[in-house]
Amino acid sequence: MKMSRLSYSKTTLFFTLLWLFASVISPGQQTTLDYSKYHQPDEINASLVRLAKQYGQVSRIHDLALSPGKRKLVILEIGNEVNSVDKRLPAVFVVGNMEGIVPISSEAAVYLADLILSDKSYYDGLTWYIMPCGNPDAAMHYFNRPLVKDARNDLQHNDDMDEFTDEDGWNDLNGDGWITQMRVKDPEGIWVLVESDPRLMRKADYSKGEKGIYKLYDEGIDDDRDGKFYEDGPGGVNVGVNFPHLFKHFTATGGLWSGSVDESYKLMKFVTDHPEIAMTFTLGSTNFCLVPPKGGRKGSVDLNRIKIPKRFTEMFGADPDKSYSMSEIIEMVKPIVPEGFEITESVVAGFLGLGAVVNPMKEDLVFYTDFSEKYKKYLKEKGAEIDRLDPEPAKDGSFELWSYYHLGLPTFSMDFWTLPKVKEKKGKKDGLTSDQLKKMSNEEFLALEKDKIEAYLKEVGAPKQFQADMVINMVKGGRMTPAKIAEMADKMKDDKKPEAGKPDPKMKALVTFSDSVINGKGYVNWSLYNHPTLGEVEIGGPVPFTDNTPPATMIDSLLSLQVPWILEIVKKMPDLKILKTELKPQGAGVYELKVWVENKSFIPIPTAMGKRNQRPPPILIILSGKDFELLSGKNRTTISDLPGLKSKKFTWLLKSEKGSVINIELKTPNARGDMKQIEIGGGK
Amino acid sequence: MKKSLKNIAIITVILLLSVNGYSQLDDIKVPLRFDHYYTYDQVVQALKVLHKAYPDLTKLEVVGKSEENREIYALTINNPKTGDELGKPGVYVDGNIHGNELQASEVCLYFLNTLLTKYGNNEKITKLVDKNAYYVIPVVNVDGRYHFYADANTSSSNRGLRRPKDDDRDGLFDEDFPDDLDGDGNICRMRKKDPFGQYKTDPEDPRLMIRVKPGEKGEWTMLGQEGIDNDGDGRVNEDSEGYVDPNRNWSFNWAPQYVQGGAGDYPLSGVGLKGIADFIMQKPNIIIGYAFHNSGGMFLRGPGTKSQGKLHPKDIEVMDWLGENNEKIVPGYRYLVSWKDLYSTYGDFGDFLDNVVGAYTYIGELFMSSSETYRDPEKKTEEEDDMFRGSSNERNREKLKYNDHVAMGELYKEWKEYDHPTYGKIEIGGWVKMSSRLPHPFMLLDLVHRNASAVIFSAEQTPEVEMEVFEIKKIDKTLSRVRIRLVNDKAMPSMSYHSIQKNAYPKDILKLSGQGIKVISGGQLTDNYRDKVNYKEYKPEVQFCQVPGFGKVEYQFLVSGKGNLVIEYESRKAGKIKKQVKL
Repeated sequence: MKMSRLSYSKTTLFFTLLWLFASVISPGQQTTLDYSKYHQPDEINASLVRLAKQYGQVSRIHDLALSPGKRKLVILEIGNEVNSVDKRLPAVFVVGNMEGIVPISSEAAVYLADLILSDKSYYDGLTWYIMPCGNPDAAMHYFNRPLVKDARNDLQHNDDMDEFTDEDGWNDLNGDGWITQMRVKDPEGIWVLVESDPRLMRKADYSKGEKGIYKLYDEGIDDDRDGKFYEDGPGGVNVGVNFPHLFKHFTATGGLWSGSVDESYKLMKFVTDHPEIAMTFTLGSTNFCLVPPKGGRKGSVDLNRIKIPKRFTEMFGADPDKSYSMSEIIEMVKPIVPEGFEITESVVAGFLGLGAVVNPMKEDLVFYTDFSEKYKKYLKEKGAEIDRLDPEPAKDGSFELWSYYHLGLPTFSMDFWTLPKVKEKKGKKDGLTSDQLKKMSNEEFLALEKDKIEAYLKEVGAPKQFQADMVINMVKGGRMTPAKIAEMADKMKDDKKPEAGKPDPKMKALVTFSDSVINGKGYVNWSLYNHPTLGEVEIGGPVPFTDNTPPATMIDSLLSLQVPWILEIVKKMPDLKILKTELKPQGAGVYELKVWVENKSFIPIPTAMGKRNQRPPPILIILSGKDFELLSGKNRTTISDLPGLKSKKFTWLLKSEKGSVINIELKTPNARGDMKQIEIGGGK
Repeated sequence: MKKSLKNIAIITVILLLSVNGYSQLDDIKVPLRFDHYYTYDQVVQALKVLHKAYPDLTKLEVVGKSEENREIYALTINNPKTGDELGKPGVYVDGNIHGNELQASEVCLYFLNTLLTKYGNNEKITKLVDKNAYYVIPVVNVDGRYHFYADANTSSSNRGLRRPKDDDRDGLFDEDFPDDLDGDGNICRMRKKDPFGQYKTDPEDPRLMIRVKPGEKGEWTMLGQEGIDNDGDGRVNEDSEGYVDPNRNWSFNWAPQYVQGGAGDYPLSGVGLKGIADFIMQKPNIIIGYAFHNSGGMFLRGPGTKSQGKLHPKDIEVMDWLGENNEKIVPGYRYLVSWKDLYSTYGDFGDFLDNVVGAYTYIGELFMSSSETYRDPEKKTEEEDDMFRGSSNERNREKLKYNDHVAMGELYKEWKEYDHPTYGKIEIGGWVKMSSRLPHPFMLLDLVHRNASAVIFSAEQTPEVEMEVFEIKKIDKTLSRVRIRLVNDKAMPSMSYHSIQKNAYPKDILKLSGQGIKVISGGQLTDNYRDKVNYKEYKPEVQFCQVPGFGKVEYQFLVSGKGNLVIEYESRKAGKIKKQVKL
């Protein structure tokens, strides 16, 4: 049966070409999912199973856990070691949609799997673990009606601590298929309408003599008649905040403890059982690729200024009023502990109760910042200007924070879409920006015009005490740096709640987007409704997911633009090499062996955080072979760290009468290592 | 011929076992004996015989398995005739979470033995068993206990979980355990004759060594723990089991390894502990907990870290009252605050039970080595065994005399020569593993009895709520005013103040219902002379309350209608009450 190519219609050709340009996946390869729509968790899992079947030699399915709603959490492993228990290659761990409220992140994870399997060079020398959906129970809400954005899994939980469990959730009163909001005129109301757009609400500005008019509620009725609405919806735990770093106990939706649900507990077990994991990616609503992880949290201990509690000062011979550095304290403690007991930073910190690191380490921000610049350049080159709202900062108890602070691994994350920024009519093109300040030296800052500094402070909403004069003096006196100012401004921006008097910029962006791009489908106009207990109310407001989930037609182009960057970052995984070896005979069969090792990549191993928490596995140089004896140095030497693009030298003294072949192995579970052999001739 | 050889073999084994103070397996029967320590298998056997002897009062379950697949048992005592276990206050007792802290399990067994054997003969104990539900896990760290006996140890080793960890960061896991060079079942100390050594023989007791003074000629160098450098890295015994400390692996206020040594990789990574946690979460009625350890002679209360802030003052009142009574029951033991008087601990069991379950928990550090005396009764000594600084020379001499004359020499091993592969001619000797933190068996009965009595004292103070409808006043034809009093004459409130503050779980419920009856309004009556009521805005027929320890709480309702008014009180930890009154 001859199929004439000429019989293909022009339309088919057109769409084929369009598809080719839209996708970066190799032409001719069928993708496992159709990236023009969003897929339910079981469809996502089925797509992985299809891939594993199609690429059976290099892929494998792991059933990680079952959610309370009996949905599977599935990991797809890709690489050349899928059938080995002993992993010698480093691995990358990718999770998506940990909170279950970012549908595009699950699509992105599967897209990544498709991309990797399209070219074996993408998994040459490393293993991928990809879990597209970390919270399938919550993820299902996007596909159910009425549509509601809720991050809780299906575990029954009494959120409001009354006599019922899960008794008061949402109700689609006007039957429009969405859970929006209700506004009611109420003497205790604090909201007023925004003059320029009465669909929007803002808090009344009492300082200007305004009085609040409306109370805002989530759409629903008071099912349990306790005066509160939607205070105990169905479910559960938000898996995405159920991880140990900065986990908050006693919240309504955070879970009883970190790892209290199988989705998070079994995930932590899996990651721990795979020490070859060298790097993690979290696909969701944060973006460490674009915006380096934020600091500014209180509570981080300065290891150079530690105060020793009174009850230990006598024991150490220390001064309770003085501050000591960690190394000083280690020296003080050494003489009084039993011999053989090893004093490390960790031991001292534990004994003194110093507490955890809560801000990213300075040295790690170096590579985060560098990659962020490169990413912005990459996006610009692809014609994608970043004019969207900022990605969210990482939440306390999130997976990405656990990965960085507890595992000490290079941790990256990506969000794929937020609402486009509303372009302000007045453009201050040459105004100071936070980014500029971060790179400025003190001298450069002091050389700026005072007006510029004032304008900047006003724009970032600095508190009234921070006048330009004061800030300039602080920099002059060395008490402040421009980078620190920018950091504080960023922190304030994150903490900003909608001010009285101003509408929430996010809401403004939402209605603008809804009106201009999706035909008004992102915002429901307020309409009257007769509420059983509240009387006459208006129902309306943003449609759930409008703020973080783009129309399905945009999925493919967004993913084809951004997902490949993950491969760029992975290329920068630490790569260990034996740079040079030198064997110098000393006479009488004694040799001096020098070995230089280097990290060919920009990312240090371990990260500065990994060095601090001692969690990443050690890097070793192992000497082995017959017929030689070490006179000085050890067979197994631990390398504390190899900073990016740096090398270190190690020396041994050995003796070999007959001559020998020495194997020098440089290895660690989560990086590519190296091996060299050296021949020693016999000595006299 | 064969048969008599076999008999000889059996008798030999039995004799050998009894020399070490072990009882034979088939010797374990009810009532249990407390003149010896129980191995892991013997604890299991003891639980089984207790359950077999009292099948109606007990339930024996395996709550989980350890890393090495050993079973962790829990024995529950409840009298079904006085109600379902979950409808009563829960008393939780465990021990031996640290594998070397043996006597904790004996305390648990004694507690169980007392409650069961005295039931029906002793009025106080009978009432006590009828009143509460008891959950006892005598051995939490089953692998630890097993290996403490089976392998050579010091009195402090084999504390952790059998979770491999590369402690010395050489890429190998648990590769350098202590070595029992002389095969005596103990890990003692090694010393070598050395004129440059920092120690010299104590002139009073040649077994001891004292530090030389500046300029003085030395005699001995201390080489550390008995062992060899198994992995050739220059260090001896630096990477034994774990190190994961099971009492830092719990999930409340857990902190990673570098902040809290021994924390493990993530909360409840210990598989046995996870099983125990799941079991405990099935018993939300637990209101008092005791977790036994050694040593030091203390009853510790939380919080585990300073960062958690102070406990609620009313909870402190409860803990103080019980704790101070414990000091009277076990003389010499001190009631202390964990983080303040000892040190900070993240992820410990006490914090878990207090916060997640809402209980009042004591950590019992059993045994004071200062009770090992040999001294003139007139002479007062200041010498103490300090946990951090160790014992003085005076004290060490005294302890050796105690060993010689009171403990039949069974606690200390004389220095004996040994040919060490690295160090050459050395001597091995020192305190054996069944010493130091563990009392000689002759002291065991006193220890277990007194500490079990402390638990019993607390168990008597679990909340007992009585309901009294102390007023029904007719306001008009159909409206009545009903006043209800809930009284608790025990020390523990029906819900800890900490749990209320943190909204940890729903409060007690006082509910009114009835055919043809409507509750118009209701609230807590704060002053019944002046009719002051804190009215609840919605659903007045359902009130959320707590009954204080040694106290009462009163509620007032305005009810319309006639007929049977049903009043129900339901508490997670203080049971249920149902009453009916006619309006």
